[in-house]
Amino acid sequence: MWRWPIEYAGIAVQLLLLLRSAWAHLLTRYYFFYTYVASGILGSAILMTMLLRTPVLYAKGYWAVQFVTLVAGYGILLEIMNHVLAPYPGAERFARAAGVVAFCAIFLFALLAPFIKSQWAPVVVIEFERDLRSVQSLFICGLLGVIFYYGIPIGKNMKGMILGYGLYIVTSLMTLAVRAYAGPSFSAVWKVVQPLSFDVSLVIWLVALWSYCPNPEPDPNIALEQDYEALASRTRGVIDIIRTYLRKAARA
Amino acid sequence: MIQLIFFLSIGGLLFASLFFLARRKPRPEGSSGALIEARQALMALQAGLLPAELVKRIFAPDDWEFVRAEAPAAVRELFIDERKRVALLWVSQVRTQIHNLRRFHRGAARSYARLNPRSEMELAFSFAGLILACRMLQLVIYLGGPYAAPG
Repeated sequence: MWRWPIEYAGIAVQLLLLLRSAWAHLLTRYYFFYTYVASGILGSAILMTMLLRTPVLYAKGYWAVQFVTLVAGYGILLEIMNHVLAPYPGAERFARAAGVVAFCAIFLFALLAPFIKSQWAPVVVIEFERDLRSVQSLFICGLLGVIFYYGIPIGKNMKGMILGYGLYIVTSLMTLAVRAYAGPSFSAVWKVVQPLSFDVSLVIWLVALWSYCPNPEPDPNIALEQDYEALASRTRGVIDIIRTYLRKAARA
Repeated sequence: MIQLIFFLSIGGLLFASLFFLARRKPRPEGSSGALIEARQALMALQAGLLPAELVKRIFAPDDWEFVRAEAPAAVRELFIDERKRVALLWVSQVRTQIHNLRRFHRGAARSYARLNPRSEMELAFSFAGLILACRMLQLVIYLGGPYAAPG
């Protein structure tokens, strides 16, 4: 009963988001993000048409659209990396390494899972989407870890983009995980919660991307060491001094 | 069930990260202003707040031996209390210095294209180890007094 009003509201907010982006000249600044939004609208339009004309094909079409938007969702992650980390090559390098570790971790888990417990159900579409969502989750966690660790400042646009997408990913991952575990009995809840969380994300994006708010640029006037190794060895030197003081205190 | 817990844990981790992002201050610790402040604080600390003689003096047992031999119980108690307070203050200052150094290093390292993730991990563990050591030292001093630290 609630599902369709939620879906229609989502389409309306997506259209509003696109219109506002054109008005505020944001389309060219965040083209990966708006490609994702446009793919969502297109996907919804295709699904609605299918439901009205050929309802038999709807289930197959739903998963196809879901995967296309899921892949397009990686564009948002690329957008975030481009805008937030581009001025910080060191942090970007670390984030890339963290991303590779996240991908390896989940694929390693996928490889080892059948050996850990042999009676697990065969891989179905829901489980596959859940696995991909968990890769995205780990990737965002890694990205946020780097942002927090290096104290990288984030503008309103990017913060909203991460919060909105992250919230949608969390809800999708958790509902998909419960759906895969509990079976079709959870479908009724899942069919409402998933589009509802997407609507919440859309509202966050609409507020955060109402106008252009650039990401704070690093101050180019800060004098730094000539290269990274010099900085690292200087830090190691000071760490050694502090360690010596602490040892002295402990031995006194 | 293991599978469900695994995926819910990933979701929980992301939710916690988003929560911290939402609560983040508008001027995070790594902004250029904060970086300059961290550098200044670090230089000040290196220059004057941690002279080797001070460390020796705070934890030197000579004073305590003298007070124990010469002074009445009330003075001995007062001496231990005050020395304990000074020792705790010193450890707290060392911890501040470690935080400043870490803030300065992170603020600078993020801009290097040739950053070495392995070195960064190594330094992160060193910082964590030092902060843990400070906490342990504080606990030992708090519970056992200024002369209780293990040798």
